[in-house]
Amino acid sequence: MPQPAAAARAAFSAFARTAQRQCTRSLSTTARSIPTKRPTTMGTARFQSQPYQPTGQRRFFKTVDEAKSRYRSGPFSWKAGLLFVITAAGLVWYFENEKVRMQRKRIAESTKGVGRPKVGGPFELIDQDGNKFTDADLKGRYSLVYFGFTHCPDICPEELDKMARMFDLVEEKRPGVLTPVFVTCDPARDGPKELKEYLNEFHPKFIGLTGTYEQIKAMCKAYRVYFSTPTHVKPGQDYLVDHSIYFYLMDPEGDFVEALGRQHSPDQAAKIILDHVKDWKGPLKRS
Amino acid sequence: MGFLPSLNIFSSSEEDKRAAEVRTGAVAPTRAERQKCWAARDAYFACLDANGIVDALKDGKKAAATCGGESAGFENDCAAQWVTYFKKWRVQDIQKKARLKELEAQGANKMDVQTDFTTRR
Repeated sequence: MPQPAAAARAAFSAFARTAQRQCTRSLSTTARSIPTKRPTTMGTARFQSQPYQPTGQRRFFKTVDEAKSRYRSGPFSWKAGLLFVITAAGLVWYFENEKVRMQRKRIAESTKGVGRPKVGGPFELIDQDGNKFTDADLKGRYSLVYFGFTHCPDICPEELDKMARMFDLVEEKRPGVLTPVFVTCDPARDGPKELKEYLNEFHPKFIGLTGTYEQIKAMCKAYRVYFSTPTHVKPGQDYLVDHSIYFYLMDPEGDFVEALGRQHSPDQAAKIILDHVKDWKGPLKRS
Repeated sequence: MGFLPSLNIFSSSEEDKRAAEVRTGAVAPTRAERQKCWAARDAYFACLDANGIVDALKDGKKAAATCGGESAGFENDCAAQWVTYFKKWRVQDIQKKARLKELEAQGANKMDVQTDFTTRR
């Protein structure tokens, strides 16, 4: 590089000092070829040639300016501008999308792994038809688990209606991907028959789970559900059960994903569920 | 001719029996029974609102005197446990709303949390 460059520069200035017409002509050709790489050479050439060529000056200048402006504005045509804008928009869209996806992933994975609070786990209960139902029956699909009781005055029935709408919305887009589960916190009064009657009014596909008090207690503990049945209840006496009111979204491996609360509308909740389903890379059962 | 009235008597006594079971909490109310109860509750609460009664349990005498009819309807259509629950809930809700108002006046930010009975659509 240095040798031919120096030679070129020497030849260049020699030319500039002597002949005018050939000089301008030859310069104009050099100005197009060389300066694309060496604009400084052009600067010196122009400076050196100035005092010697009052007549050819204008033309010389014009050519160099033209060359320089071509050099300067070369990459910035409207096509390049358009490409730039499209690329920028594409990148912004991509990163925004990725950000949201990573946020979901973070939520989904914050409960997986070591040292994290574990929600969910193995259980053995019976469904509203009296059949045995375990955690294995939920594997391979997302599940939406809700805890309540049939004598619930206001919140559970409303939330179950919401769950039915949520479930229908998810079912519309991804049929068979979600299992809706209702677990009673009041096993003393909610047997399979009561659950069946109760849940039929909300959605025929809801699975109602009950069991012995110990089984339900273990289930609630696994799902970190708070519930309290009043103590010393006489047989036949009415009571209410205090309990947590979240929908637990569980992934196809039985791991907790996210809790959906009263602040979510059915549409919002369905969107959250569908987004998580979209992120799922593992196997899913086909219905 | 005698068949229809007897059927009516039979079905109405069935209804009464069912309503009594709902009141005592022997059975869980159906959707229709819940709706009926909530409507009776809302009517009763509207009466309490109109008369400025906050705690229907503490101000039982005043509530019975001013909203006797609504109270009877409320107690007839809802489980006794629910009646108590809703009355307590109303007191808490009124206090909560007052507190929220107070906080909002102090410039607190409102969070998106639902406290009333209306369902989101």
